[in-house]
Amino acid sequence: MDREILNKFVDGQLPPQEMARIAALLETQPDMKDYVAKQEKLSASLRFEAVMQAPPPSRLVEAVHKTPVSWRWRLFAGRRGFGLPWLLPAGTALLVGLVLGITMRPAGDLALSHGEMLARGALAQALDTRLASAGYDGEGPRIGISFRDRDGSACRTFASGHQAGLACHRSGDWVVTTLVTQASESGGAYRMAGSQMPETVRRAVEVSIQGQAFDAETEARARANGWTGK
Amino acid sequence: MAPLPLGHPEMDASLDTIRHQIVQLLPRLRRFAVALTGSMADGDDLVQDTVERALKNLHAWEPGSRLDSWMFRIAKNRFIDTRRSWKRGKTVAIEAVEEPAWDGEGAMQAHLAFQDTAKALQTLPVEQRQAVALVLVDGLSYREAADILEIPIGTLTSRISRAREALMATLEG
Repeated sequence: MDREILNKFVDGQLPPQEMARIAALLETQPDMKDYVAKQEKLSASLRFEAVMQAPPPSRLVEAVHKTPVSWRWRLFAGRRGFGLPWLLPAGTALLVGLVLGITMRPAGDLALSHGEMLARGALAQALDTRLASAGYDGEGPRIGISFRDRDGSACRTFASGHQAGLACHRSGDWVVTTLVTQASESGGAYRMAGSQMPETVRRAVEVSIQGQAFDAETEARARANGWTGK
Repeated sequence: MAPLPLGHPEMDASLDTIRHQIVQLLPRLRRFAVALTGSMADGDDLVQDTVERALKNLHAWEPGSRLDSWMFRIAKNRFIDTRRSWKRGKTVAIEAVEEPAWDGEGAMQAHLAFQDTAKALQTLPVEQRQAVALVLVDGLSYREAADILEIPIGTLTSRISRAREALMATLEG
């Protein structure tokens, strides 16, 4: 039998039925049983129980109590509405209070479905196909940065007309998690190059991004994979 | 909504809760760090570095998500970034454990076993050692460990398998 399977058995990582099947099998296979016993002993010897039971040194406890927290944490803590995020699952806090205004313009680019706002039409097409690294040709929605959020979904910022926002790819759709509508004085579209991204969208990116924004290569690869997977 | 002013009681209470949760995590972080570095002193330096990093970057932690996973990830990254400086573990393992667990019956034996295991871990490639430190040492599931290490679960599984074989050979040999 594959050692990987036996190791998974030792680590309790197989589905219950499979665990039971292997446990029964061990009774007829002394070699396997011996292997499992040795691996279990190895696991037990690696628990470092002494470290777990020892009181942590005072310098560590002091570091926990004395290290100042980032100012950005204080800022976000206030903006998130204190207390609320603690009650919500990860990611939900993002959706609270960030959708500032919705106007369906241009018509057909956004649709509501089961309480979620989905990109449609030209916006969906731009999110699917456009590469920010390829530059902006001045036509239609403009794509800003792309990244993976904490749930592993691919997300992209966009600007179209007077709207800018953030959309994340989930179950084949682009779910618009943040949308800001704002008339600019010049009447033109947002320029989404870096620092000129609307503050609200920038914040939404900051709280949801996992790791770094995609570089040109990662962006192209993500598009080739249909914005799914890792 | 305007940010709460610094020193706002509600914010301070939440921060106290987070600090308290981190104190609760210290034994697990120490164990993880000693498994990575092979030395109690180096491990504690790594934990201190991790704690300071975490608090200074607390905005990057999403309330409601797992604090332990997030801190393990920071510790893992700090270990990789700074591991050239973790030299002591190679020569002197577990030199300064003062806890009462070593006292009494079988203390010397326990101490020796501890040193053997810590040394055996140091013979593993770093990638395997990280996987072992999360799964065998801390007891996390493969899925949780893979998330912390930011690798596919299949990669994690094969690293655990290779590490198990190697550790068995080292400790039996």
